[in-house]
Amino acid sequence: MSKILVIDPEKCTGCRLCEQVCSVKHERVVNPYRARIKVVKWEMEGKILPVVCQQCEDAPCAAACPGHAIARNPETGALEVNYTLCIGCRTCMNVCPFGAMGFDWVENRVIKCDLCGGDPQCARFCETGAILYVDKSELSSLKQKKGAESLMDLMTKVTAAITQAG
Amino acid sequence: MALSRKIAYIDLTNRRVRTAPIPLEMRRRYLGGRGLDMYLLYNHVKPGADPLGPDNVALVSAGLLTGTLASASARVHIAGKSPLTGLVGSANMGGFFGPEMRLAGFDHLVITGKADGPVYLWIHDGEIEIRDASHLWGHDAHQTQTLVRDELGDDDIQVMTIGVAGENLVRFACVMTSLKNAAGRTGMGALFGSKNLKAIAARGRMDIKIAFPEEALDYNKEIITQVTSAKVSKTMQKLGTLFIWGTTNSTGLVRVRNFQSNQIPHADDIEPESIEEEMIGTAGCFGCQVHCRGRYFIKKGPYTGAYVEGPEYTSLGAFGAEVGCTTKQTVLVGNHLVNTYGLDTLETGSMIAWAMELFEKGILTTKDTDGLDLRFGNDEAVIEAVHQIAQRRGIGDILAEGPLKAAEKIGKDAIKYLIHVKGMSNLHSDERPTPALALNIATASRGSDHLRSRPAIDLYHLPEKVLRKIFGNPVPYDGPLTSDYRDYEGKPWEVLWQEMCYETVDCLGICKYHTVFLGPNMPNFSEWPKLIYLNTGLEFTPKDLWDIADRAYTMERLFNLREGLTKEMDWLPDRYFDEKTDRGLPVVRGKSIDRDKFRKMVDEYYKLHEWDENGQPTEKKLKALGLENEPTHKL
Amino acid sequence: MSKTKEESTAKKTVRGRTSGQFRCLNCFERLTPPPGAKIFTCPNCGYAWRLSWFGPGEPRIRGPVWDVNEAQTQKSMAEKGGN
Ligand code: SF4
Ligand SMILES: [Zn+2]
Repeated sequence: MSKILVIDPEKCTGCRLCEQVCSVKHERVVNPYRARIKVVKWEMEGKILPVVCQQCEDAPCAAACPGHAIARNPETGALEVNYTLCIGCRTCMNVCPFGAMGFDWVENRVIKCDLCGGDPQCARFCETGAILYVDKSELSSLKQKKGAESLMDLMTKVTAAITQAG
Repeated sequence: MALSRKIAYIDLTNRRVRTAPIPLEMRRRYLGGRGLDMYLLYNHVKPGADPLGPDNVALVSAGLLTGTLASASARVHIAGKSPLTGLVGSANMGGFFGPEMRLAGFDHLVITGKADGPVYLWIHDGEIEIRDASHLWGHDAHQTQTLVRDELGDDDIQVMTIGVAGENLVRFACVMTSLKNAAGRTGMGALFGSKNLKAIAARGRMDIKIAFPEEALDYNKEIITQVTSAKVSKTMQKLGTLFIWGTTNSTGLVRVRNFQSNQIPHADDIEPESIEEEMIGTAGCFGCQVHCRGRYFIKKGPYTGAYVEGPEYTSLGAFGAEVGCTTKQTVLVGNHLVNTYGLDTLETGSMIAWAMELFEKGILTTKDTDGLDLRFGNDEAVIEAVHQIAQRRGIGDILAEGPLKAAEKIGKDAIKYLIHVKGMSNLHSDERPTPALALNIATASRGSDHLRSRPAIDLYHLPEKVLRKIFGNPVPYDGPLTSDYRDYEGKPWEVLWQEMCYETVDCLGICKYHTVFLGPNMPNFSEWPKLIYLNTGLEFTPKDLWDIADRAYTMERLFNLREGLTKEMDWLPDRYFDEKTDRGLPVVRGKSIDRDKFRKMVDEYYKLHEWDENGQPTEKKLKALGLENEPTHKL
Repeated sequence: MSKTKEESTAKKTVRGRTSGQFRCLNCFERLTPPPGAKIFTCPNCGYAWRLSWFGPGEPRIRGPVWDVNEAQTQKSMAEKGGN
C-alpha cells in the first residue's frame, strides 16, 4: 500500500484545523507552531496555501542529511527522522524546497510529517477535500477529474453565452 | 494546560501591567469567556460610570475551550459598559485572535483607565507590552492589521483592532479581526477608542495541553460530524449566513423600509444564490468545518479589486431590505465599508433606515442632511451615509450617537419610528408574527438582540416531541410547548432555554452555529460535559453548566438593574402592537403582537427566572446561585 | 445496551438525519422534488417555490414564485375574510 497526502489549495478555507489536530496527535497539546503542517496565509489578499511534506521520491532532505537519519518507512511510505542518528544540524530544513521540514524548539529537534503512521489526522479532519490521503494509483485520475471539471465548467459557460447571444 | 492561563490587569493611565492566576473556583463558577466577563464587569465598573470615560473597563476574554479540540473553538469575548445602551456591553467574535491570545498565555484582559495617546497592546509568550500607536491612528481595520504585522515582523500575529469609527467614538463601532470577524454589537469599538486603545496584537507559542488527547481527537471528530451533517451547515458552507434569507423573506419575516413592510418581493438580485455568484469560496474560523465566511472581490465601482469577506445575513437587511435597496452591489460595498471602518453593520443599517423613514415623513429634510437625498432605495445615499456616520460628518454625526441619543437630538416624533429595545436596534427581522422571537428581543440583556436568546428553531414547525426533547434538557419542563410559531404559549421557556444555551457557548468560546441556533440537532448540554472533560479534565454535569449559565446571565441582569434598567424596558416599540404586517404568507399576514398576551409572556418569563414582578432576581434565587454578596472582588 | 457499546448523542443524531427534502413554508409539508428541479409547486397547498441545490440531492427554497404565491395568498385571505 502506498498512500500519499494530496493538497488542493483552492479548497482550503484556512481554518487551520489540520495544524491543531496535528499538534495534538504528535505533541498532545494544541500548538500550531509545533505542528507538521502549516497553512500559510496572505490573509488580507485572500491567499492560502497549506504546506506539508510531499514525501518526495528523491528527497533532498534524506540525500543531504550527513547522519543518514532520514529514511522511508516501508509500511507507510513516509520519510521519517531517526532521532538516534540525527545530529541536529538542520541541513534538511535548509534543503527542503517546500519549507516542510520544521523545528520543534521544545524537544530541540527537527520535525516532519510522518503520515501519523498511516492515519494522517489532517486528512481525517479536513472535510473540504483540501487535504486528501489517497493511493498513489489514484493520483492521475484525481487530477484528470479536476482538470475535466474546470474544462466542463468553461464549456457550459461558453455554450450558455452562445445560446444567449443566438 | 489550558487552565494555566492568566488574567492581566492593564492600567492604561499609568501604563502598568499586572498578571495573576485564575483560581479554579472561578472557572467552576463561570467557565470563562462571557461568563467570567460578566463577573468582572459587575466587579470592576463603578456604578454609574460614563461608558466613554476612563472609569469604564474593557474586558477581553477567551472561552474555557477556546483553542482546544471543540469544533470552532475560535471565539473571544469583549465586554464593558455599553456606549450604546449604558447597559451590558458584550460581543464576541471568531477568527483566530482568541486561540492566539491563549497560546500567548492569557485568558482574560482587564483594561482600565485611558492612555494619554494612541496605544496598542502586544501580547506574546506570557508578556504584555503597551506600545505607541500614533502611526496606526487613522488607519482602517484592515490596514492596521497589516501595519502591526509588518512592524513586529511576523505574519502569524493576530490583531484585533478598531477602525476609524471606533476612533471617532461612533457609539456602535465594533472591534474587528481578520477581514470580517467583528465583535459587533453594543459599541465595544467606541469603548476601545475612548481609551485610546487602537489594537491588541497577539502571538504565542505556549502549549495548550489537552487532558486526553486521543479521546479528544475522536470526540471532536464526532462533534464535527454532528454539526456538518446537518442541512443548515451544508447550506452555510456554500452561502454563509445569507442562506437564512430564503426562509425569512419568502415567508414575510423581514423588516422592510425601517418597519413598513415585512417582505421585499422580487428582490432576486440580493438573494443568497445571486450573491454566491460573486463569491470565490468560503473561509473558516479556527478549527471550523462550517466555514461560513464568504469571500469575494469587488468587481465594480470605486472599490474594484478589494478582497472582502462576508456579507452576513445582517447586511442583507442593512444594505437591502431595511433601506429598501435591492442590488447586490450595494450589499457587497456596504459590507466592505463597515468592515474597514469597524462599524456594526446591523446598527448602521438600522440607523440609516430609520433616518430614511424620518426623511419620508418630513421629520428630516434635505436641510438637515446637507442635501443628501435619504429616500428609501437610494443606493448612493445609503453608501454615503455609511461614510458620514464613520467620519461623523453631517447627519452622520447625529446618527453615530445611536438610536436614543440621535432621537433626542432630532426631536419631534423621531423616537416613534425607532425600532429598538433598550437603545439597541433590532435585526432586520419582523417579529410581529412570532411572539417567541418578539419576547427574545424584548428581554435580551443587551437590547434588541437575536444572539442572546432567539429560539430560531421555533420557526421550523418541529413536532412537540422533538421540542420536548430539546427544551426539556437538562432542566425538566412540563409546561406547554407548541409547534406553531404564532402561539404565545410555552414560548417563554424556549427563550429562557436559549438564553442558557447561548450563554454556555459564549462561556466556552464556541461558535453559535455549532449549537442549537439555526439547526435543532446540534451539540448542546448533552455533549458539552464530555467535550470539556476530554479537553481540560474538568468535570461538570449538564445541570452544572446550566447553573453556571444562569449565574452568568443573572450577573448581566444585576448589572443592568444597577445601571438603570427598569421593567418598562423589557418591552417592544409600540409599532409591534399597533401596526399590522401587510405582506407574506397567510400565516404571517395581518399580524401584530397582542399587548395583554405579551405582558403575560414577560411575566411568565420573569417567573421562570425566579425574578419578581419587577424583573429583579429574588433573594432566594441569588442565594441559590451564590450571588447574594456580589460584588465579591475575587478577581 | 451495555456501557461500552453505548452510542454517543452525537452519533445518534447523525444517524437520524434526512436529505433530499425541503419543507413547504406555507403548509410545512416535507416535499421531495425531482433532482435538479428549479421550480416546485407544493402538491399539498399549491404554493410554488423557486429551488436551489446546495449539494447533490440537497434542495432548498431560494424564493417564492412571487406572483403565484401572492395570488394564492390574496385568495385565501379573502376567503378567511381579511384575517
Ligand atoms: S461557523 Fe462561521 S463564524 Fe462560526 S466558527 Fe465557523 S466560520 Fe467562524
Ligand atoms: Zn405547501
